Formats: sequence, structure tokens, C-alpha cells
Amino acid sequence: MTDSILEVTDLSVEFATYGGRVKAVRGVSFDVKAGETLAIVGESGCGKSVTVQSLMGIIPMPPGEITGGVAKLNGKDILGLTSKEANEFRGVKIGMIFQDPMTSLNPTMTIGDQIAETLMVHRGMGKKDAFDRAVELLDKTKISEAAKRAKQYPFEFSGGMLQRAMIAQSLACNPSLLIADEPTTALDVTIQAQILELMSELQRTENMSIILITHDLAVVARMADRVAVMYAGQIVESGTVDEIFYESAHPYTLGLRAAMPSNKTTREKKLTPILGSPPDLFHPPTGCGYFARCPYAMKSCEKMLPPECLLTAESNHQSRCWLQHPDAPEVQELFQPARTQEEAPDAG
Amino acid sequence: MLAYTFKRLLAGVVTVWFIATATFIAMHSVPGDPLMNDKAVTAEIRANLEKKYGLDKSGPEQYLIFMSNMLRGDFGISFTQQNRKVNDIIRDHFPVSATLGLLAVFFAAIGGIVWGALTAIYRNRLPDIIIMFLVILGISVPSFVFAALGQLSLVKINQLLGSSVIPVAGWGTFGHMLVPSLVLGLGTMALLTRLMRSSMLEVVNEDYIKTAKAKGLSPIRIFFKHQLRNAILPVLTVLGPQIAAITTGGFVVELVFAIPGLGRYFVQAVQQLDYTVIMGTTVFYGAFLVFMVILVDIIYGFVDPRVRLQ
Amino acid sequence: MTDSTLLKTRLQAVSNLDFSPSDTVQSAEQISRPSLSYWQDAWIRLKKNTRALVSLYIVIGLALFTLAGPILWQVDPALQDLNQLSQAPSLPKQAIFVEEHTRWEGIVLENFPAEPEAFLDVLPAPTNLRTAETATTQAVRIAWDPVVGAGGYAVYRNQHLPESINDLGLPLGTKLAGNEVSYEDRLNVEGRDYYYSIVSTDGYDESDTYITLKVTPDLAITKTEALSRGLITEESIVANGETIDLEFHPFGTDYLGRDMLARLMEGARVSLFIGIVAPFLYVMFGIFYGGFAGYFGGNLDAILMRFADFVVALPFLLFMILFKIAFGIGPGESGVLPMLIALVLLGWPATARLVRGQVLQIRTQGYIEAARLLGAKDHYLIIRHIIPNTMGVILVTLTFAVPAAIFTEAFLSFIGMGVAPPTPSWGSMCNEGVKTMLSHPHELFFPALFISTTVLAFNLLGDGLTEALDSRMRSRE
Repeated sequence: MTDSILEVTDLSVEFATYGGRVKAVRGVSFDVKAGETLAIVGESGCGKSVTVQSLMGIIPMPPGEITGGVAKLNGKDILGLTSKEANEFRGVKIGMIFQDPMTSLNPTMTIGDQIAETLMVHRGMGKKDAFDRAVELLDKTKISEAAKRAKQYPFEFSGGMLQRAMIAQSLACNPSLLIADEPTTALDVTIQAQILELMSELQRTENMSIILITHDLAVVARMADRVAVMYAGQIVESGTVDEIFYESAHPYTLGLRAAMPSNKTTREKKLTPILGSPPDLFHPPTGCGYFARCPYAMKSCEKMLPPECLLTAESNHQSRCWLQHPDAPEVQELFQPARTQEEAPDAG
Repeated sequence: MLAYTFKRLLAGVVTVWFIATATFIAMHSVPGDPLMNDKAVTAEIRANLEKKYGLDKSGPEQYLIFMSNMLRGDFGISFTQQNRKVNDIIRDHFPVSATLGLLAVFFAAIGGIVWGALTAIYRNRLPDIIIMFLVILGISVPSFVFAALGQLSLVKINQLLGSSVIPVAGWGTFGHMLVPSLVLGLGTMALLTRLMRSSMLEVVNEDYIKTAKAKGLSPIRIFFKHQLRNAILPVLTVLGPQIAAITTGGFVVELVFAIPGLGRYFVQAVQQLDYTVIMGTTVFYGAFLVFMVILVDIIYGFVDPRVRLQ
Repeated sequence: MTDSTLLKTRLQAVSNLDFSPSDTVQSAEQISRPSLSYWQDAWIRLKKNTRALVSLYIVIGLALFTLAGPILWQVDPALQDLNQLSQAPSLPKQAIFVEEHTRWEGIVLENFPAEPEAFLDVLPAPTNLRTAETATTQAVRIAWDPVVGAGGYAVYRNQHLPESINDLGLPLGTKLAGNEVSYEDRLNVEGRDYYYSIVSTDGYDESDTYITLKVTPDLAITKTEALSRGLITEESIVANGETIDLEFHPFGTDYLGRDMLARLMEGARVSLFIGIVAPFLYVMFGIFYGGFAGYFGGNLDAILMRFADFVVALPFLLFMILFKIAFGIGPGESGVLPMLIALVLLGWPATARLVRGQVLQIRTQGYIEAARLLGAKDHYLIIRHIIPNTMGVILVTLTFAVPAAIFTEAFLSFIGMGVAPPTPSWGSMCNEGVKTMLSHPHELFFPALFISTTVLAFNLLGDGLTEALDSRMRSRE
């Protein structure tokens, strides 16, 4: 674990709103290793965007507040810094791209100027040099006629092109980590594939790590090395992409998989939605967050929050579910390595 | 952009024609005529005068004569001020009104942008609350009250200092212009402050501000290069109509501060039914306002690339 | 994670677990809030907005002031109280009865020369300046001792203590003989402090010294006056020296002695009538015009809206004045109607544009298509779908149009182009008040206060309505 470039431990974030305090992130821990892609998956409102945005220090404070936890970038703490301190890593060591490229670029500045701005601020480059470098970066992200395009404004670009420009901008200072917050959600499917391909290619050539936030399991399967599944502000399961897809150890992961179309989906085997909606994070449940929607909910799940634990000694596969208790009943399809077979439960 | 400008100008010309026609109709439906003020006029003299001013002709004929004269830039001779050309009246007094109005617009725009930006920075804190309170006051108190208060405070200041530092009334130096134009711009300033505040607060929540933060830009750079510029744009769009509101609002301020602007002449001309002066000032004012609005829109186009390039 | 232990050891540490299926009712799809109609929801949100609610109360208060006020405060707004001109707001005052005024011969000294016997280089000021009788608002009679060498005296009156010879105030008059040593002042004497100054003259030039006396006249009234103002009846028997309550002016009086409160109420009728009726009319016309253009679209829409553009381009105030004059004011008319017509003629395009935009937008919405497919006719669509969905915007426009119209009326009346005197409106009262702003600020203050409060209330109410009716704001909280 010495090769982790980012280590987040027990991060908690709350928002003060009219209705009360929303506990958006409730004790999240994960790490990112050099050169790997970590996907954070979950449905809307589960806290995945807030998690990475609070790492970058770009959630509005107030109303946002980081109430606990540590985040270390190459061993250096990055939470609770002043904006001046934070700007030593923002845009330099961590680049970030956002969900909607149409609104994520300043509409009244040319694309080239916006990319050059990063270089001028962080690298102290002159205006001309920075702009030339911006053109190179646009070229690198496969934008044709980059020199001409750099002089254009965001509204003259298509969505896919803007996302390429965003990527070029985030790569300006050769960051070691790229945070992509739902980078393909707002794009057409064909463009999505191009953007994802571009990202994997750049990851290889620039040797950087990626945190990919998404709710699209297909994107996860294609891009990720490791996956963290978030629900109601907590990571409920994490592991390698194979572990998550083939040895799912949390009912929520199972639910997500059942709701995802695959080439096995036929007229007979329909997609299964997860019924209900996530819990109210003004008053988060004391027990498991998934309790109200879990088909296997047990009495203990309501009151007691299961701890986050490693499933096997060999792997880094973790889950947060009472069903992983040695005495818990068996659930078909769920990966339960610790369950003691000899104490098989009765059906009642 | 060129085609757009041309189209706007053409529409502007048609609008001015409409204004001229509407003025002509409105004025000629006023009971009485400009000669009725001279009581001593005999029937013979009256007929001569009517002939001299072309009042003996039919309405449509008068309209055609007026229109053709106007096209040549000639508004005729005043009825009540002997031998004074309307063009001369406009030339002498319009610059005063325009200076006053444009200075007021300038104060209002600068004030509105600065105050609005300040309230957004100090959102819901004391400076914001104080400024917004003043803004509500500025919107709710009629301009003549401000004018009266402005003059009153000038009197008091001069009394206190024991000398006439800032003139209380009249026209000529910058000292004469300062307080009247501030007073005139106050309402618009309040309006723009409000607009700027909501615009700023909207921009703060835009995604590109988040991007700028994630890029590692300093808050000051974000404020000036990304936030302010985008927030000012919607404020500029209302500036055109506001110029119109301010220049006509100048009537009161001209009255209270005894400024020899065009507004006073207009009011006087209306009271005396001085046809030519009414026509001349209305058409000129109207044309000025129409083209100011077009000018502001075109300038706006240069500031906002989205408009410029479409 | 370094601190993570293996599942078995960590989970097994937890005891007392119940693995039986949960029997808690899992109602994940429950609806947490009751269903509310658009207007119910808007009303609830408006009630939460303190500023808007206070404004609503102010508007209701103003309506009462205008409608019920004249019933409670039955004072003729045109009646002049000559005893109390430009009176500042005060508590009720009393006056004493005095004799009818009779001519006062004054004091002429017999043993003192009328013409100076010799011209002195320095002429001293008179001494022993005093009131000859009790000073009343009917007359102030002052007298002084003669000055040797004086050929006459000049009498001045000021409302503050003179600071120098140049600050003596109003020159009331001169006496042209050295032995005429009294003066009677009957010039608009009010019940306030006066400073009378006397300067000796040699018959031609005034000297550089003066003497000043402070006089506070008592409020006095004669029987004839009291009768004419209805304070007493023919039958009442009053003796001189008796006191009587004068008319009460809680807001003071104006320069003609008319009661400010009564005039403000009368003015409110004019101002609020124009301020509410004119916007109502032109918003109605705008709805009709814009709705018509928007609903039928095409060339008709283009022509109608182009015309609206022209009307918008007219310089508003110039045309307000022109139109108002064009419709003419006959003798004895107040000029309210011409102003109303002018406002309607110039005011409608803004609403028309807004409504047209709304209608165009709503017309393409799915639910209109759906209703049309189900066989709904035009009038049904308009009444059932289009009007209810534009109501919110229209209501907000109307609320903001009221302060604009009140401003316009005030503005025109202020420059003397509004309602004709003697009809009061808040604007024309301001116009009169601004002339005496320095000496009697209350005459400007009260009408200005009423205009500002009304405009403020309608503006805040409009803000509140915008927030309450804006569906975007609903999801924001």
C-alpha cells in the first residue's frame, strides 16, 4: 500500500440547509494507487460527487462542512487547507473534469485562453507560450484544427469536443491523478465511447491514476481496475472490478447488477429495478442505510450499522453487510465466504 | 453582426417615423391651437399667421410638409419664441440634458455593478443587508424627493462650510452636474444593484466557477476573470431601456435644480401648444433614445461572444 | 486498509444479533407531503415570507385609509384654516376669544420732535422694546422708547434670533417720524416665536444697530371667525378670554391652511385609483392582445407584435404628457381620466409581450397536444389550460405595474402635468410641498412618505409573489 497516491480515511461531509443538516458523506475510506482507475459507483444523491469535490475543496463552504476524516495526497494532508495552500495541488497534481461540459467552461473566454490560464498560473508561463501549449494539449486530445479551435468559444463546440477540451485543460500540468465526475453522463453513447477511449489512452501515456465517478456499470466494467460502491453516503462494498461483478458481497451491488442490461437480458429475463428511494439523509438511519430497500433485511440491520470488513485474507475485497456474519442466513447469488456452512440456517 | 446592425438601424428609422406620426396625430387632436394664446389677434392677422405657419392647410398636407422638412433636418420655427428655430433650441439645450442623463447612466452603472458585486460577496452579512435596504429605499422613493433632498443637503453643506462649495442650482461646471446626475441615477442604480446581485449569485453556482476552482485559480482571479465578467452581461442588457428612463426622468431634476435642459422647454411648449417645438423635441428625443438602445445592444454584442458571433 | 481486520474476527466480536427476517413495514415508496394545488402552495409560501406578508398588511391598511379614512376623519380637505397655515403636526390647540379687531392709533409722543433737530453721526438703537398689549395671533402690538436724533424707525420680523444686522428678516414696515414709537403686526401671525427688531433711521438711512424682542403670540380667535368656521353656533354665548378648541390637524396643514390628513386621504383616492385601475386595465388589454397574437401566431402575430414594439419605443413620459393634453381637461375637471387613458394607451405592450411569450411556450407543451388529441376545442384549451398557467406571471406583472403607475402619476403631478388643482394627489401635494421644503418640511414629507410606502409595499409584495409562484424556486429549497 505504499504506492497509494491518495488515501482517504473516514471522510464525513455535511451540508447545512433550510431543512436541517444533510449528512451527505458518512465516513468514507478508500485509496488510489499509482496508474490505476478507481470507479466510485452509486445512484444519484449517494454522495459520490460530494466526496471528490470535498477532496478538491470545491464544495461551497458554508453550507458545506467537512466534519471529519483525513485525506492524504502523496502523504500530505489536503483537507481543510486555505485556498492558497490548496492551489498547490489543485490543477497541478489533481486534474478534474465534470459531468456537463456545456456548462463547465466559462462561456465568455476562448477555449485556448482557459487552458492557457492554468499554465500561466501554475507554471508561470507567458501568454504566448501558454497558448501554444494549450493548442498542443488540444491536439493531444484529438481535436482537429486545434490552433483554430483554441481561438473559439465554448458555445462553438459540441458536447464531446468540450469534454475533450476539459480533459486537455485538466491535463495541462501533468497531474498524477485525474478525477472524472460522471464525464460521459451528458454525452451521446457514441461520443461516450470515444471519450472513455481517450481517457484510457491518456492514462497509459501520461501514467496517471483516475478516479471515475459514475452510475453506469457498463462504464465501470470497461474502465475500472477497482470499484467502490456507494450508498447513502457510505461505501458499502469495494474490491477489484471482477470481485464486484462476479463475487458481489452486498445486496445493493446485487440490486445494481440486476438493474443493468446485459447480453443475457431477454424477454424472459427482465431488468429488475431496486424498489423505493434512498433514505432521508437529514436523519440517516442508525442501522444499515439500505435496510428499507433490502430484500434480505434482518432485524439487526435496522438498529446496528455493520462495520466495513475484509472478506478474505488474500484480497482487498470489503463489504458492509450483516449477511457476511458467519451466523447469517445464506443468500443465493451473494458472495458469503465467511458463512459457516455447518450452521446453515432454517428457512423461517 | 454587420447584417444585424443594419437591420436594427433600419428598424430604428421606421420606429422614429412611427414616433413622428404618433406625435403629429396626438398634437393635432389637442383642442385649440398655438395662436389662441394671443388674445389681441384680429381675424385678419390670425389668417395671416395661419398662412405663415401653414396652419391653413389640411391635416394630411401639414403632415406631408412636416415630414419632408424633418427629412431635411428642419423642425421649423417656434410659435411662442419669436424667430427662434427649433433646431437652435435643441442644439442649445439638448447637450445639457444629454450630459446630465449620460452622467447619471454612468454613475448608475458603475454604482450598480460595484454595490451589486459587494452584496454578493458579503451575502447575508451586514454590508449586504445595509446595501439591500438602501436599494429598496432607492426603488421606492420618487426621484423628485431625492432631488429635493439633494438640494436641501447642498444648502446645508454650503451653510456649514460657510461658502458655496457646490452650487445649489444652475448649470456650467462639473460641480453643477455632480449632485443632479447622482440624484437622477439613483433609482436606476438601485435597480442595477439588485440585478447585479442576483446575477452574481447565479454565476457563483455555475459549473465553470467550480472548474476554475478545480484548476487551482486564486479566489481573486476567479472573481474578476470568471465571475464578474459573466455576471455583468445580463446587467448590460437592461442598460439600453434604462437610458431612456433616465433621460426622460431628467425633467424633474432639471426643474428642481434649475438646469436649462430640453425637458423644461418641452413642458413649457406643451403648455403653450407650441407645435413645432413639441414635434421637434419629441422626434429628436425619440430618435436619440431609439438609437441609444441600438448602440447599447451593439456594444453588448461586442462584449458577449455568444451574440457577436451569431 | 491497514486497520481492517479479517471479517471473521471482527464480525464475530458482535453478539446478540438477530438474523430473523425483519418485520418492519418497508414502505419505501411512501409520499411524505400532502398534495397541494398551485395556489394553495403559493399561499403557504407567501405566508412564510415575512416581508411580503407585512407588505400585504400595508396594502390592506392603505385601502382602509383611502376608503374608511374619510368616514372616520370627516374634515373637508378643501377647507382653509387661516389661523393655522403651514402648521406642523401637533396636538390639538386652543385659542382664546378676543374682541373684534379695532383700529389701533399707535403711540405718538407729543413732547418729542417728529423731525430730528440735528443729524447725529451715530444713531443708537431704540431701547425698552416691549409689547404694548398681550400679543395674539390677531395682532402683535409693540412699542419702544424714542431715540434722540431719529427721524423714523424700521421694523423687522424674523423666525430665529438675528445673528447680525443683515439677518433681521422680513421688513414689516417703517415709521417716518421720530415720535411714532409703536407698530402693529397683523401679517399672517401664527402661534410661534417671532423676533421683532427695530432699527432707528434718520429719515433716510438706517443705523447699524438694532434691538430685538422675542414675542410668542397667543392663539386668538374672534367670534365672527369662530362662527364662520363652525366652531361655535349663533346661539352660543362666549366671553372674551374664554378658550375654545381649534380644529385639530394631526398631520399639520398646508400653505393654504388645509388639513393634511384629509388631503392625504383625498389624494390617496386619486393616486391609488390611477395606480390600481390603470394597470388593471392595461394588463387586461395586454393579456387579450398578447394572448390573441400568441395563440393564433403566424403573420397576425408578427404584425401585432411589431406594432407593440413601436409603442414600446415611444418616449414614455413625453407621450404621457402629450396624450394627457390631447384628451384635454375641461374647466373644473380633475384630469384623472385623461391620465388614466394615457397610461392605458402606453402601458399595455409589456404585458402583451409577456403573455404572448407565455402562450407560445405553453402552446407547444405536451399536455396541450394531449388535450387537443382528446378533442378539446380552442376555448376549452384557453380557459382550462392556457389562462390558469399564465395567471401567476400576470399576477406578478400586475403587482409590479401598480408602483410604476403610482410613480408616473406622482411624477406628472409633480411637474405640474398631472391632476389639476385643487384636486389633491400625492404627487401634486409633493409639488406644493417642495416649494416650502426648507421652512415647512412636513408638507413634502407626508405625501412623499405615502408614495414611498405604497410603492415599497407593492414592490415587496411583487417579490414575494414571484418567489411564491415561481415553480423553479419550489425545488430549490
